[in-house]
Amino acid sequence: VPATAYPPPDHILRDLGIRVEVPSATTARARIPATDHVAGADGGVRVGVLAVLVDLAAGAAAVRSLHPDWMATADLTVQLARPASGPWVEARAAVLRRGRTTLVAEIGIFDVDGPTGDPPDVAAAPAGPESAGEQVGIGTLTMAVLPARPGGMRVPPDRDVPVGWSFGDAGLTRPLVDAIDVRVLDPKAGRLSMPLVPYVHNSFGAAQGGVMALLAELSGLTAVESATAGLVGPDAVTGPAVARGLQVAYLALGRVGPVTARAPLVIATPDGGGRAVVELADEGAGDRLTTVVNVDVAATVPAGALP
Amino acid sequence: VTVDPLDPLEPPAVDRRRHVADYFRIERWEPPDETATGPLTMEGRTPIDPHHRGPGGGLRTGALLTVVDTLGGLMSGLAVQPGWTVTTSMMATVAELSHRGPLRVTGRVLRQGRNSVVSALQVVDEGMGDRPVAATTMTCAVLDPAGMALDFERPLVFPMPPPTGDERTVEDFFCIEPGEGPVTRLRLEDRLRNPWGILHGGALAVLADEAACRVASPAGRTVAAADTVLHYLHPARTGPVEARATEIGRDGGRSLVRVGVHDAGADDRLVMLASVSVVAV
Repeated sequence: VPATAYPPPDHILRDLGIRVEVPSATTARARIPATDHVAGADGGVRVGVLAVLVDLAAGAAAVRSLHPDWMATADLTVQLARPASGPWVEARAAVLRRGRTTLVAEIGIFDVDGPTGDPPDVAAAPAGPESAGEQVGIGTLTMAVLPARPGGMRVPPDRDVPVGWSFGDAGLTRPLVDAIDVRVLDPKAGRLSMPLVPYVHNSFGAAQGGVMALLAELSGLTAVESATAGLVGPDAVTGPAVARGLQVAYLALGRVGPVTARAPLVIATPDGGGRAVVELADEGAGDRLTTVVNVDVAATVPAGALP
Repeated sequence: VTVDPLDPLEPPAVDRRRHVADYFRIERWEPPDETATGPLTMEGRTPIDPHHRGPGGGLRTGALLTVVDTLGGLMSGLAVQPGWTVTTSMMATVAELSHRGPLRVTGRVLRQGRNSVVSALQVVDEGMGDRPVAATTMTCAVLDPAGMALDFERPLVFPMPPPTGDERTVEDFFCIEPGEGPVTRLRLEDRLRNPWGILHGGALAVLADEAACRVASPAGRTVAAADTVLHYLHPARTGPVEARATEIGRDGGRSLVRVGVHDAGADDRLVMLASVSVVAV
């Protein structure tokens, strides 16, 4: 665990047991164990949790390219081909373009067998798109480039590559959704609330972008499940719904809290899935709109229903 | 394949500001009460003529994104005048692939910054009682338009263009070569360039859609692109333009496909990255 002020001792990044490896100045990998506490109804890691991983991997890949500037996530997507069921799940990020005002990264999402060591052994770890594991999804991320300021955060471009670190072992003793204290206010409207506490802060002291994506996932799921409750026919063979895709646009930081989610557009389909557009607002900052997320929801197939 | 980007067979008198909008017959207007501070909302409509329909029975997703981009790009540009914009990313979730039409697009600017404009645009099927079709979010980078004249009479109203007589399919209109397999090529004809002289973003959207469908459609399976993410990384200027598709995985009747689009004539530069979910129809 690096001796830095961020993340604090009690923080979601530590509880997820994330391990990061930076093999080069423009690539990075981040892994988490696929435990039940971060899983959705299909047993795979929730797309919102994958958003946390994607954000972290892309940030680690980008930071050296941006030197001396810093960054803020502008948009992020996760699309899954099938559930990310592990035993570990890895996000592999590579910088595609570094422009004057933005940086774009591509992130592959893979099921892998386990951690690469403790601490992570970068030299022994596989590298590049040909490395071990089975790809289950893809992510993209755009960073807004924040011009360097005196005293601001920065990582020299040639420092410590390759390097790896761990935020600690997975420390969740309950589902992550409970740990971030999400409360459902109105399921049909997708209205959820989450307190903005240091546990979910980013390095700016605002809401961590991946956590915002997770809140949006839960809002979209709740709204679509409510909307499909009366649509699915009696003969349909569907289980609980899961989100399999997120498209996140970050408009402003959530700084005060609580953060509230609502789903102004819900499109339910007879198969038990659907789409939702979720808006996140910072209630303590005059209900300022901070994030807009398109959520793709699918029904699961219950055990025993497969041929 | 070698194609002169200034193909002499192409008519030179194409109005690059209207050519694509005329083909799809896109009607666009802004509410009259919002012109004082820049348009926060804008609306548009496209009729879906028979030659526009794709494998899902409606406007194929690449074409839908072209229509959305045509409206959203104009809205974003007007929001930052005297500057202008270029689209850098589009994120679309598409719930309905079969449309009766016309489709109506409603856009609003979510965030207007110094360097970028973020907009949300939703699409409904007017012929199906305003049934929701898709929700999209797009980001545009703010540009200095240099010497380009960008004067508009406000509030802006572009009526629906009459049929042009051009009844090519969407793929033919955008010069996508017939074929199958993981590589799909587009001839960069001069009429496909936008006012900046680069390949129109809509052409790249349709190319990514077609490439994803080809790699995810084994024999006997009819498929269509649904949820799509596009990142425009560099302008495509030279051509030919080549889309290389890889199927990441398949679950039931749905595939997830990565498409990298390269400008083969410009050192094979990666000009766009797309991720597309493809569904059986």
